[in-house]
This record gives sequence, C-alpha cells and structure tokens, in this order.
Amino acid sequence: MDPTNIPLFNLAEQRLAWTDRRQEVLAQNIANLNTPNWQAKDLRPFSQALEGVAGTALARTEPGHLAGTQDTAAQSLLVTLASPHQPDGNAVSLDDQLTKVADTATSQEIASTLYKKYLSMFSLALGYGQ
Amino acid sequence: MDLDKAMTISARGMDAQTARLRVIAENMANQDSTGSTPGAAAYRRKTITFENRMDQSLGVSTVQVKHIGTDPGEQQLRYDPSNPAANKDGYVKQPNVNSFVEVMDMREAERSYSANLSVMQATRDMLTRTLQMLK
Repeated sequence: MDPTNIPLFNLAEQRLAWTDRRQEVLAQNIANLNTPNWQAKDLRPFSQALEGVAGTALARTEPGHLAGTQDTAAQSLLVTLASPHQPDGNAVSLDDQLTKVADTATSQEIASTLYKKYLSMFSLALGYGQ
Repeated sequence: MDLDKAMTISARGMDAQTARLRVIAENMANQDSTGSTPGAAAYRRKTITFENRMDQSLGVSTVQVKHIGTDPGEQQLRYDPSNPAANKDGYVKQPNVNSFVEVMDMREAERSYSANLSVMQATRDMLTRTLQMLK
C-alpha cells in the first residue's frame, strides 16, 4: 500500500507544501517592510493551487516543441497585491501580512494534526495501540 | 525547505532593522557633537536605506542595507563664543539631528523588528508541528 495514494495524505501533503511556500512569501513581505518600492506578494488560494490553475505552461501541440525550463507551477502561483502605497513606494500593510501569517500557521496546524490523527489510525489498525 | 528559507528571510529582516537601530543610536549619541576647530562643521545626521536583493545560494530575495549616507540638511547656528568651534562672530554649527525624528524612526524600527520576530516565531511553530508528525 502506497500512503501517498490515500487521498487525505495526498491532500494534507499538498496543503503543507502550500503553507510552507506561503510562509516564505509572507516572511519576504515583512522583511521588506521598509524597502522602498517593494510590492507585497501572496500565493493564490489553496483551492486554486489544487485545481492546477497555476499550471499555465506553454502548450505543446507539436512533437517538436520543447518543454519549458521554468517551474511554472511554483512561479505563477505568486500574485502581486495591489494595496495603497506609502510615500516611499512601499506597498506592504503590516496588519494584513501578520493576519495572513496567523492564518497560514492555523492551516498548517490543521493539516499536520489531521495527518497525524489519520496516521495514528493506521497504528491502531496495526495493533500498536494508542 | 521553504520554512528554513522563511526563517532566513526573517533573520535578514531583523539584521537590517538592527543596522537601522545602530544608525539611530549613532545619531542620538551625537546630537551635541560640534566641531573642534573654529568654524568647523558639526556632526551630520546619518541615514540608512534598504534594498531587496536576490540571495543566489538560497534562491530567494532578502532585504539588506543598501547605503548608509549622511543627511545634507542645513546645520543651524547657535551663539556660543566660548566653544572651540565658534567662528569669528561667536556662532557654532549644531548637528542637524532632530531627536523627535530619531525617536519616531526608532519606534518604526522596533515595530518592524518585532514583526519579523513574530513571523519567525510562527515559522518555528510550524516547523515544530511538522516534526511532531514523526512522533
């Protein structure tokens, strides 16, 4: 049995990868809180990432077409947010970013707890007890 | 791993704010530093700017100090003939440091520093939870 084929594990894994990546993007925004002309970035919502909206790779309609070299899935997930500018051209809203950090941490907690709970059901089934 | 990168980005952000706080401390400490020869210029307020730079080894863009410059603002004169820096009319050039501006700047640096620290804490919690999945 391959655990990655179990839908819940697969979903939790993708969710964790998404929260990891989002945390990185948010950390970047907050680190650049005082950098002139910095535009806040964010990831597309997880539902969109899951649907594969992000995978806008070039279509290969001929056998001779080359595959792209860019990791398009990761790249196009990134969106630049339009928020009000400060006089120095910086467009990061601290409250907004910190709310998102908290939100990301919560989603990560949910995903990891679910994963752990589900895994413990396997050990229960295998007779390891709880 | 992305969470490690997030930690590094936050750490760089804190570094940048620390450098800013150092510059503010220099300005505050020197708000009375006048010259020592007649007519000499007094201490000039230092300024700091940040920029976003790509870290090739990490593959992410981090923040860092771009330039520490000086404020070209005018230095006011104060009448103090006994000062060694007094010119022939008895006026001494004063540093162009405004302590109110520095305190405001300090508050902002403090706020940005704690924001980075909060992100770091959240990231660390996330890392711990991920590790706990192994238990």
